[in-house]
Amino acid sequence: MLEVSNIDVYHGDLKALWNISFQLNEGEVVALIGSNGAGKSTLLETIAGLLIPAAGSVVFDGIRLDRKPSQRIVQLGVSLVPEDKGIFPYMSVLENLELGAFNKRGRRLKDETLKLVYGLFPILKDRGSQPAGTLSGGEQQMLAVGKGLLSRPKLLMLDEPSMGLAPLVIRNIFEAIYQINRIGVSILLVEQNVRIALSIANRAYIIENGRIVHHGDSKNLLTDEKVRHAYLGTLSI
Amino acid sequence: MTDNWKRISVGGGILALLVILPLITMRSDILTWSCLTLQYILLSQSWNIIGGYAGQVNLGHAAFFGLGALTTRYLWLSALPLPFALLAGALMATAFALLIGIPAFRLRGIYFVIGTLVLAEILKVVVDTRLPVASVLPAPILATYSVVPRYYISLIGAVLAVATVYGIHHSKLGLGMIAIRENEDAAKTSGVNILKYKLVALAISTFLAGLAGGIFAFYMIAIQPGYVFAPVWTFDPVIIVFIGGIGTIIGPLIGSIFFVLLKQWMSLYLPGGFHLAVFGVLFILVVLYLPDGLIEVIRRHTKSIKAFG
Amino acid sequence: MFKFLAQTFVNGINVGALYGLAAVGLSLIFGVMRILNVAHGEFLMIGGYIGFWLFTLYGLDPFMGLPLVAIFLFLFGAVFYKVVFARVARFHEELKLKNSLLIGFGLYLIFPQIAMVLWTSDERAISPVYSGKAFGILGLRFGYVPLGGILVALIVIIALQLFLTKTYFGKSLRGTAENWKAAKLSGIDIDRTFMITFGLGISLAGLAGVLIGLIQELTPVMGIPWTLKALVVVVLAGMGSIGGAFIAGLILGIVEAVSAIFMGPYTIAIGMLIFLIILMVRPQGLFGRT
Repeated sequence: MLEVSNIDVYHGDLKALWNISFQLNEGEVVALIGSNGAGKSTLLETIAGLLIPAAGSVVFDGIRLDRKPSQRIVQLGVSLVPEDKGIFPYMSVLENLELGAFNKRGRRLKDETLKLVYGLFPILKDRGSQPAGTLSGGEQQMLAVGKGLLSRPKLLMLDEPSMGLAPLVIRNIFEAIYQINRIGVSILLVEQNVRIALSIANRAYIIENGRIVHHGDSKNLLTDEKVRHAYLGTLSI
Repeated sequence: MTDNWKRISVGGGILALLVILPLITMRSDILTWSCLTLQYILLSQSWNIIGGYAGQVNLGHAAFFGLGALTTRYLWLSALPLPFALLAGALMATAFALLIGIPAFRLRGIYFVIGTLVLAEILKVVVDTRLPVASVLPAPILATYSVVPRYYISLIGAVLAVATVYGIHHSKLGLGMIAIRENEDAAKTSGVNILKYKLVALAISTFLAGLAGGIFAFYMIAIQPGYVFAPVWTFDPVIIVFIGGIGTIIGPLIGSIFFVLLKQWMSLYLPGGFHLAVFGVLFILVVLYLPDGLIEVIRRHTKSIKAFG
Repeated sequence: MFKFLAQTFVNGINVGALYGLAAVGLSLIFGVMRILNVAHGEFLMIGGYIGFWLFTLYGLDPFMGLPLVAIFLFLFGAVFYKVVFARVARFHEELKLKNSLLIGFGLYLIFPQIAMVLWTSDERAISPVYSGKAFGILGLRFGYVPLGGILVALIVIIALQLFLTKTYFGKSLRGTAENWKAAKLSGIDIDRTFMITFGLGISLAGLAGVLIGLIQELTPVMGIPWTLKALVVVVLAGMGSIGGAFIAGLILGIVEAVSAIFMGPYTIAIGMLIFLIILMVRPQGLFGRT
């Protein structure tokens, strides 16, 4: 479904991604793991159309995404929930969700999607008229995911959804992500929390210093010695 | 080492030529033209400091030019010796500048822009209303009016301006200013005292602008008081700096010469103030397509020439 | 004495409404695009002159002509954005601001010259039959034209607020103003949004221009003083506050009118004073968010 081939991406003059290639099949949950600054966010931003690769291509359902404007990419069915959550702080929760549905398809299915989102995150309905900036961190993350869902994507990309959240809230959110995948949305997940990422993903790629250094099925990676040592060693159960 | 010597000898040669110019030519048009160019060098370098090096867009530069001009004019005509009148004019400009700069620089950049714009316009309107009559040099001074002393003062002003910019360029102050211009947040985290550097840049810039105004006031036979606050006195130095090369030492020099020549040429063929419109279009084109000015064009050409051996 | 003050008050509101309308467009453009349109007054002037033309060449009543002026200035603004500002709008914030300031400054010099060619430097005024007429209540004089101006300003601003809060596209404008990256990711076409916003802002300026032409005169150099007024109002209201800009305009109008009593020709300095006070005491303005 998504095919990233040999892309190089620069941040200004600094090269951030080196010859990255990977793919994601329909219905899958794929995780991108790696430490801070490895280039994971850059990769997602490139797919979403915020950055243009200097080389290589991004193909989604047979259509090239690179060099297309970001609103076109959302229309084609790829949505990104960014690391900073990408919400509008002074607008109400409901308005935020509505703007998430801005593209044609999203608007058509808006009411239906809203019901879905409220089912996953009931608190968003309660806080409907509150300014989004007054929500707690976890609630904002739920709003961000809900907003992404309102664009009715075929592929939903999430950048560090667990960042800064309490374990209970993280579990809540990842439960929802799992549900979203169950209804047919493919997921591309960037996470520093390797354990939870691998618990939900089918496959994972490991990125270090802008390059893919390892990949495989989650089960195998969980038992892989190198991975355990590098990423799981300091995590408590 | 030879590069430096080359630069010094060329610069020194030009300077020597400029110094003896009034002695070798009697043509008043050449002297006048040179005088104006030198004044433009002073004024444009003054904007270069705040706009080019520190990166703070000052759209009300005319305010400081005008303050210097009027202060100097009235003090000088009231029998204060010229050097003191010039100094007073320059200081008056700086005082007003700090009045805006101190509250504005603590906040986002646009407040400074708005503040200087507002100041220039208000001064113009107030002066136009209160001093509508042109100030003409009284008969005794008029009788002995000569371009030559004015030429030399303009030369001193221009040399002072270039020396100041040179000094800033090679100093810690200049580094700080450039850091602020390139990325203010990064500069702050590197420990640069943003407020201090901006204020110093503003003070130097407006001091020189006030000086330029004062010299202009000394030079002109008749001045309409409100005119020295007209937007052209902001626009001219800005376009000179942009055409020549912003944030460089030589840029405003090239720009000034180019500008004065172009202006002379255009005033021959274009009616009234229409050359302003042409300059406006030229300016916008430069901002959009040639933001580094002629200097960059020259550099690129000389590089390609050098590349060929 | 009281009657004199009250009349001054009324006069202040008459002008203040126009200050507000002129400022709202500026505030909209800055809020959404982070571009400070220092040539706002120039577009205001163009709008005024177009209204003048419609009236003197075609006999179209200026109030009737407002929608035409609005549409024309909207298109003019949108095209202008595409041709001149679009390149700049893609830069990151600081560079975008700087370059747009310089471009706006360049327009200072171009527009007045064009205006002088098209309309000469004579003062023009739009003077329909009902121009000087007024009615009185409680001994206070209310001019028909200024009242019409206030009404138009109110209608326009309320319409704008409704547009921004009730329509999808209006909400996308607010979203873009708050977080343009998030707006992009929501599938909003930022370029198109900017173009329409700019057109809208310029359109508002044009409307103000016509109303100004009705109660004051139009000259090729009126752009700068009106930009100045709009800037002070925007600072007073707080960057990005659109409804607040109108109220701040009224306040400025009233303050100026009252100050004129004892400050005479120095009244214009009030703007500077207000500006400095706001900077030092409450930088976010009366209605702005910190």
